[in-house]
Amino acid sequence: MTTFRKFTAGAAVLTLAAALSACSSSSSGGGDDTSGSSSSASGGGTLSVWCWDPNFNIYAMQAAEKIYQQDHPDFSLDITEVSWDDLQTNLTTLAQSNQLDQLPDIFLMQNNAYQKNVVNYPDLFSDYTDSGVDFSQFPDSVVAYSTVDGVNYGLPFDNGTAIQAVRTDILADAGYTVDDFTDITWDQFITLGEDVLAKTGQPMLTGQAGSTDLIMMMLQSAGASLFDDAGNPTITDNDALNAAIDVYTRLVKSGVLVEVNSWDEYINTIVNSNTAGVINGVWISASIQSAPDQSGLWAVTNLPKLDGVAGATNYSANGGSSWAISSNADYALAADFLNSTFAGSTELYDTILPASGALANWIPAGQSAVYAEPQEFYGGQAIYALVVDFATKVPSNNTGVYYYEARDAVGVAITAILNGTDPSAALEEAQQTVEFAMGG
Amino acid sequence: MPAEVGATPSTSPGKTSRRRSRPPSTSTGLERRRSLTGWTFLIPASLVILLMSFWPMIQAAILSLQTGRGRDLSFADPLWLNYQRMLDDEILKQTLTTTFIYLIIQVPIMLGMALILANLLNDPNLRFKGLWRTAIFLPSAVGLVSYALVFRTMFATDGLVNDIGMALGFLDSPVNWLGQTWSARMVIILGLLWRWTGYNMIFYLAGLQTIERSTLEAAKIDGAGPAKTFWYVTIPQLKPMILLTAIMSTNGTLQLFDESYNLTNGGPGNTSMTISHYLYNVSFRNSPNFGYAAAISYVILILVAILAAAQIKIGDTRD
Repeated sequence: MTTFRKFTAGAAVLTLAAALSACSSSSSGGGDDTSGSSSSASGGGTLSVWCWDPNFNIYAMQAAEKIYQQDHPDFSLDITEVSWDDLQTNLTTLAQSNQLDQLPDIFLMQNNAYQKNVVNYPDLFSDYTDSGVDFSQFPDSVVAYSTVDGVNYGLPFDNGTAIQAVRTDILADAGYTVDDFTDITWDQFITLGEDVLAKTGQPMLTGQAGSTDLIMMMLQSAGASLFDDAGNPTITDNDALNAAIDVYTRLVKSGVLVEVNSWDEYINTIVNSNTAGVINGVWISASIQSAPDQSGLWAVTNLPKLDGVAGATNYSANGGSSWAISSNADYALAADFLNSTFAGSTELYDTILPASGALANWIPAGQSAVYAEPQEFYGGQAIYALVVDFATKVPSNNTGVYYYEARDAVGVAITAILNGTDPSAALEEAQQTVEFAMGG
Repeated sequence: MPAEVGATPSTSPGKTSRRRSRPPSTSTGLERRRSLTGWTFLIPASLVILLMSFWPMIQAAILSLQTGRGRDLSFADPLWLNYQRMLDDEILKQTLTTTFIYLIIQVPIMLGMALILANLLNDPNLRFKGLWRTAIFLPSAVGLVSYALVFRTMFATDGLVNDIGMALGFLDSPVNWLGQTWSARMVIILGLLWRWTGYNMIFYLAGLQTIERSTLEAAKIDGAGPAKTFWYVTIPQLKPMILLTAIMSTNGTLQLFDESYNLTNGGPGNTSMTISHYLYNVSFRNSPNFGYAAAISYVILILVAILAAAQIKIGDTRD
């Protein structure tokens, strides 16, 4: 009996020891993941990267790695796929717990989240001041997302320029061409849309209920946002927002825009030919082209503009993302790598555009012959050169640190307005929601 | 009464029990070694719980008194500022209401169904018992996110439910299930019922095994029908198990996250969002406010504690 008891007691102690050593070994193991900071600055070495989407961002990074390896044979990338939601959670957790040595050298960040992250956690980032990147070669509106107090924190990559894509076959049934939808206003768009709906039974647009993507695009097309320059919310007394909500309500009420509940349903309306058009960031092109039977039936043009709003244009943006260099990076190597690829290599953009549809924000890339090639899917239109041109015309606006709070609050207001609530009351409530969030 | 160990027979019961809890000095060595063994077994788990659960809880309590931007936090003035703020938080009130709606509707239905199912499946004459039990328990083995996404697809405007409803003539036109407040909440409740009823049923089945079959037979002989036997004989004996499942379900529902996040994404207009989903938004989606988020999580803790205490008070009639 005694030996048995000794044995069990010993076993229990062993378990304890094993548990404790497991704790310590796992934490030290985690520290080894960041190899970037220990590499030499001579162009060799490894950079760790966090980004999402294997067919798009990761593919682009791999292409950039190959190009940089031509001059730096010892160079390599260690790319980890992390979805944006997880990436944001990781960043917040690491910053909040001060574990910055766990950061990769380079990570991708949604343009809309830049202000929030830089202002709350400036020590996540290295700025681009000493990187040698020439930001004048990127559209001002795109650079503005990742600029805080005049300092650049992001190298724009994924292009979020907004396009209006239309089904030429459906429009032809109603007696229209893509030219009828080019350089128009939203009033004209609704009139045309009602006619298309009456003649073909198809809506001009679909959208996710409660999503504010279209509203935000309308706002940016007039250089407006939900915040003023001082960062105060301007949901009430915002001419552009009032006009945008008025347009959106009319679109839904007239049936020219059909609301669905989820992103999958939204994509299905496009793929299943349940809409005559799409307005979104140019990245939606990948989803449009996922229906090969619709090849040749699409055309791309600019957006309608808001009527009676100062500064309104036919150009806007939705989403997009930029490369950030972390505070834990081998800065010299990371900056040189990004500067000689994403901010300096037409070869890179010429490679990734045909293969993944990744469109450059870097203006010199747009002059390449690859961009001017006609696209069969879009009836021979050279849409990429067109979109790069659109990008230069998009007005800048202030995303704001409380962008997500404001966007969600406006989403709730729109749901209420469509259910019959008075718009000014709903927007007043949205304003209060954002002011409350900012008060903490 | 236990046998007295070498004491006067007139010892009072109180004294006896004290004597019993303190062993005679002759066996101290053995007893000490025994309790030492017990502690050695307990210490690893206790330490891990202390380190991984209780220490973060204390830290969260401190955090809930702090405010600031990013990591630059300082103690709030007044200290309870984050708790005071909640009184003005319309979204918190909304999510709290929604969570309680889920709790009040879903938990009683689920536990009732689980009880009935367990009772049916406990019938000794039932055939393919294992098959039925497995089939009803199986949903609990499905990942929360996966089933939420399947439900979202099923209740889409062009989803399975609308297709079947229209084919059978129940519906004239597709219903926008997830686009209206109450139908969206009902879909979440339906999902919860599907996912968790079988799980609770297993607890009841286990509880039913401990019920002496002779008590049921006695009730039958006394002329009680199945319903009366169930109500007056089975349920009272299952009471500890019912209490356990009620507390676990209450706790689980108050911390509901996956369904709100994945199935409806809180929509339409935040009306199906749960407190935990809001808590996540405050921490990670919005401009991070960890002090306030910690305060909200403490309110959830207090609510769970109060409800569990109330349930124990009502449900536990052991002396």
